[in-house]
Amino acid sequence: MTSIAHHQSSYRRMKQRAYEIMDGTVPDKYSHRVEISIALLVVANVVAIILESVPQIHDRFTAEFHAFDVFSVMVFSVEFMVRVWSYGEKYLDEKGSQWEGRKEYLFSFYGIVDFVSTVPFYLQLFFPGADLRILRMFRLLRIFKLSRYNSAFDDMVAAIKSEKDSFSSAIFLLFISCLLFSSLIYIIEGHDQPAVFPSIPAAMHWFVITIVAGWGNVDPVTYFGTVLVILTQILSIALAAILTAVVATAYTAQVERRQALYEMEVRAVLADGVVTEEEQAKLKMMQAKLGMSDDQVQAIIHQMEEEKHISDAKKTKAWEEKNTPQLQSQS
Amino acid sequence: MIATLKTTLMEILEGSPKHRASRYVELAITVVVLVNCSAVVLDSVPEIHAVYKDFFHELEFWSVMFFTAEYISRVWSLGAKYDHENGGSWKGRLQYIFSPFGLIDFFATMPHYLHVFFPTLDLRILRVLRLLRILKLSRYNTALQDLFLAIHSERKAFGSAVFLLTIATIVSASLMYFAEGHAQPDLFGTIPHSIYWAIVTITSGSGNVVAITKAGEAIALTTGFLGLCMAAIVTGIVASAFTNQVARKKAAFEAQLRTVFSDGYMSEDEQDTLKRLQAHYRLSDMQVEAMMLSVKNKSSAKH
Repeated sequence: MTSIAHHQSSYRRMKQRAYEIMDGTVPDKYSHRVEISIALLVVANVVAIILESVPQIHDRFTAEFHAFDVFSVMVFSVEFMVRVWSYGEKYLDEKGSQWEGRKEYLFSFYGIVDFVSTVPFYLQLFFPGADLRILRMFRLLRIFKLSRYNSAFDDMVAAIKSEKDSFSSAIFLLFISCLLFSSLIYIIEGHDQPAVFPSIPAAMHWFVITIVAGWGNVDPVTYFGTVLVILTQILSIALAAILTAVVATAYTAQVERRQALYEMEVRAVLADGVVTEEEQAKLKMMQAKLGMSDDQVQAIIHQMEEEKHISDAKKTKAWEEKNTPQLQSQS
Repeated sequence: MIATLKTTLMEILEGSPKHRASRYVELAITVVVLVNCSAVVLDSVPEIHAVYKDFFHELEFWSVMFFTAEYISRVWSLGAKYDHENGGSWKGRLQYIFSPFGLIDFFATMPHYLHVFFPTLDLRILRVLRLLRILKLSRYNTALQDLFLAIHSERKAFGSAVFLLTIATIVSASLMYFAEGHAQPDLFGTIPHSIYWAIVTITSGSGNVVAITKAGEAIALTTGFLGLCMAAIVTGIVASAFTNQVARKKAAFEAQLRTVFSDGYMSEDEQDTLKRLQAHYRLSDMQVEAMMLSVKNKSSAKH
């Protein structure tokens, strides 16, 4: 009886450990090593895919590329299976079901990437007639595995989400101006340059190129057309500026939020006046998770030390004022 | 009876959240406008026009009927905006008719009738006016109005940017005219021709024409670089306009937050107020979260 219980708990401990290592929630050297080796393998894979597309290299190293691909697929399959298995541990204490954490992983962005970038290889084994180009495209998805270890991708998505109003209005502006300007250029220049502006959709193609590149490869013939082209070119600068500004504002909001979060943590740590080693490690982890630079952290700590200094001075002063009469009466 | 009907209709058309119907009206108008604009675009392709000519004609007729009904009901119901003491029913109506949205509504619809009475009118002008219907949608995109407000508040900076752009264009165009006017007379023969080249070069970095002379090459490169600077200046102005606008909203919101947190806890009423304010100032969740945390931090620093 005890041996079964002991057996179960050691199995669970192993699973717990595997979850910690794979998820990287507790930063130690093993999870760090796993992270680095997966990242290196992904980079090697992407380099291999790029080199493979050069015919001369492909012809000389066909066998090597194939062996490497088999090896990587094996590693990634093991990674996927270990993840599915160990993520059962995630909500085991709170919700009781293994599948809660597994489901969350399988249907998360990374779960889907892990699956889709690995499984097509097996499909090829069973259905050898499949189009190789599509398979290669799926293999390229492996590069998204890297975004798990870098918050930039998540940051960008979060920034776009939080500023979706501004983004949508910028896109609305683009949409309206696309309709108006391409219709106008079609009406004005359509008769003089029927080859370039035969219809409004064709004019829309010109508009998009002008907005992106600043010049749409077409010179206007009429005077109204010239004015319209110049207006479009100025609009292209304005739209780029608006999009840049929206992104900048979103990033600023995100940085502010992180600083406030970190400051709260530091305050909680400093509340009892002592900083234990455990708390220090926690702060370090938090800094890494929020992606804050040492400078930002230094600034926050410095500001808090100043505040503490001031409030200490106030307290001492209040204490002195309260106690002076007593001291005087005693003497 | 008629008075209440008028008020209800006005509230629905103005998009008041009191009625559910106002959302349906908004949706219907948006759909009709989008269908109309797609029709104008598709109608311009000769192959599609040949096949679906009658369908597009029919569609145009019914859309005009729809927009006419919308315009008339707007004019009629807006009579309820002000009562007798405040200027009577025509004050609200005239206000609408001469507002930007009223003018858009009018000019996007009425030309069709002109065409009926004067069949010889130029069709191209009619088509341009039909496209104005897309602007009806900007009534429902308040974020766009925000954008224009932000730009409006920085109009002085924009004015100086336009001034700089004008100077850069004229100087590089004149220099190019002197440098290349003889070598490529058909492209740089007059300063207006060179001005077009200068604007293309400033906006896209490389022009539509390659310079031949050494001096022309140097001027072209400098002009391209000037374009980079112009883009940076405009980006900076827009970004600061945005930041200023957000800062203004945040200051107002933070004052409210402080009063909420001053008694140390947040009641449900207060939470509702904050939610409404957030929607009103159109602050993102992230900004609000950051502000709440910083206000909490500050209040905990005081204790």
